[in-house]
Amino acid sequence: MKRCRIWWSCLVLLLVLGAGPALAKTIRLGLMCPLTGSWASEGQDMKQIVELLAKETNKAGGLGGMEVEIITEDDGGDPRQAASAANKLVTKGVVAVIGTYGSSVTEATQSIYDEAGIVQIATGSTAIRLTEKGLPLFLRTSPRDDEQGKVAAKTIQAKGAQKVAILHDNTSYAKGLADETKALLSATGIKVVFFDALTPGERDYNAILTKMKGAGPDFIFFTGYYPEAGLLLKQKKEMGWNVPMMGGDATNNPDLVKIAGPQAAAGFLFLSPPVPADLNTPEAKAFLAAYQQAYGSQPGSVWAVLAGDAYRVLVEAIAKGGSTKGADIAAYLKTKLTNFPGLTGPISFNAKGDRVGDLYRVYQVDATGAFTLLP
Amino acid sequence: MEEFIQQLTNGLAVGGIYALVALGYTMVYGVLKLINFAHGDLFTIGAYLGLTVLTALGLKEHLGPVAGIGVLVIFVMGLVAIIGALLERVAYKPLRHAPRLSAVVSALGASIFFQNAVMLVYGARFQVYPHDLLPKVVVNLFGLEIPLLRIALFVSSLVLMAGLYLFIHKTKIGTAIRAAAIDQGAARLMGINVDRVILLVFCIGPALGGAAGLMVGLYYGQINFTMGWVYGLKAFTAAILGGIGNIPGAMLGGLLLGVIEALGAAYLSIAWKDAFAFGVLILILIVRPTGILGERVAEKV
Repeated sequence: MKRCRIWWSCLVLLLVLGAGPALAKTIRLGLMCPLTGSWASEGQDMKQIVELLAKETNKAGGLGGMEVEIITEDDGGDPRQAASAANKLVTKGVVAVIGTYGSSVTEATQSIYDEAGIVQIATGSTAIRLTEKGLPLFLRTSPRDDEQGKVAAKTIQAKGAQKVAILHDNTSYAKGLADETKALLSATGIKVVFFDALTPGERDYNAILTKMKGAGPDFIFFTGYYPEAGLLLKQKKEMGWNVPMMGGDATNNPDLVKIAGPQAAAGFLFLSPPVPADLNTPEAKAFLAAYQQAYGSQPGSVWAVLAGDAYRVLVEAIAKGGSTKGADIAAYLKTKLTNFPGLTGPISFNAKGDRVGDLYRVYQVDATGAFTLLP
Repeated sequence: MEEFIQQLTNGLAVGGIYALVALGYTMVYGVLKLINFAHGDLFTIGAYLGLTVLTALGLKEHLGPVAGIGVLVIFVMGLVAIIGALLERVAYKPLRHAPRLSAVVSALGASIFFQNAVMLVYGARFQVYPHDLLPKVVVNLFGLEIPLLRIALFVSSLVLMAGLYLFIHKTKIGTAIRAAAIDQGAARLMGINVDRVILLVFCIGPALGGAAGLMVGLYYGQINFTMGWVYGLKAFTAAILGGIGNIPGAMLGGLLLGVIEALGAAYLSIAWKDAFAFGVLILILIVRPTGILGERVAEKV
């Protein structure tokens, strides 16, 4: 047994030494995303997109002559699993990390990367506090909740609603957006006649809809995710209740229409950063064509595309900045990168690491179930 | 009053599903004293197999909606029963004489295995049953608008439960199941093949769970690989509420939990609906630690 252990140690040592020289020729970028758990479809899209882009970089000669290697770790959409995923990525020697989706999941990993001196670019984490902590190496390609709240209140006002029902799902993201919108609405004199939360993951929301109908709203704003939004639309239609409904950016997923059915989904409004299909830039077009060719479909939601944007700004910062040190990459992104042509529009970051600019658009589902950008 | 009755029907529809799933927990517990944590995932598998069989065989086109769904239910129940039996043979039978905790760990492992297997086979994105599958008729009952499907959903869960009740109480095999639940050793001495009884329980429980999954798919339309978690948890709660190990208790517990949830959502806060449901559970367990109808369990634990 003892001898066996010695042999194994030698073998491991050989492998480690053998791997040494190979490392010098590659740049390792980490991708932390939910490959399992309830957000698995988002994470799998993120992985496909980043891997596709990395393949393109390598085909074009790599990054400063070095090959880009993507190391993916599954965070399971769970803060605890994310912390161990982050530790794994740190020990694997990645120079920067892309991800992840949920705000609470990202939050669990922020200090791990910060202590290791690794840049982290979150892709779907919109909670305000993430960039208010003053972590120098943290950035995000997604917008912030407070911005979305403003757009939501403005849209509700523009639709002429008088009595609004606001429904969230008790996640910190959805509740934050609901609170924000409620506060902004009450300043305008629009009444919030219903404010409550549902339990995500259930199938039957008739009890909630029945109660909401009793409050008599003329507009519903749901700040949760697309699976529940789809069911709400479907069951609302089955009740024969035709009140307009709007969703937050987490409802931007084609599966919403699949779940609700095109008839029930027609007319549904939602807020979202623009999807690549609505951007007339050469980058967006080339990306969509490449994605279609590689995977035979269109990317699912905008959040996965934001992971692609995180990859592209990282490559830009390493190539133009000429350094793989965390502080240098972050400094380049925050000060030198302006209006970089991203897949979701121009990208610049402010000193906090937040993405700058008016990102939110209002979309509507049309009668065929397609998402159309409202002017 | 109208809203009250409306909410009552909302609750009964959900409760019927909870009750069907709860039966699987309670039957396995009754015989093996094991919480089968993989049961919620068998429910998910039922929903997915239903969609596969439905689209692959084109049942609706060949047989029409009513007969097609009848055949579909039998198909799915059979398939999930086979998976349940395999689960018992692979994950639980080798641990029959191991400490009870080992079997519980094995159950958790089986649950993770099933959930990820479904994700790998069917993908992580939501799947949807065809929207035009069932007629969307709304029945006007005493001034209340109730979708016919919801009534059908409730009635079919009642029929399945009544069938199980009669099977357990009026047939010889049912008597054997009850005997094995009371005392395995004595049942064995009376010439009952306890291993076969356990296998049978692992066919019936999952078959009912699979039928519930199929019904959820047919009625709500949307299925995904994690759906078994919420239903499994609620049904487990329902089984304890009614008295785990007790079959009528699981039925009562399921219906009660559904109604408590709906009324809690209506007259308290929706956000606190689960807290309210679990609060009632705690209250009942304080007053009656064995659950509403549970009697034997106390001496065994």
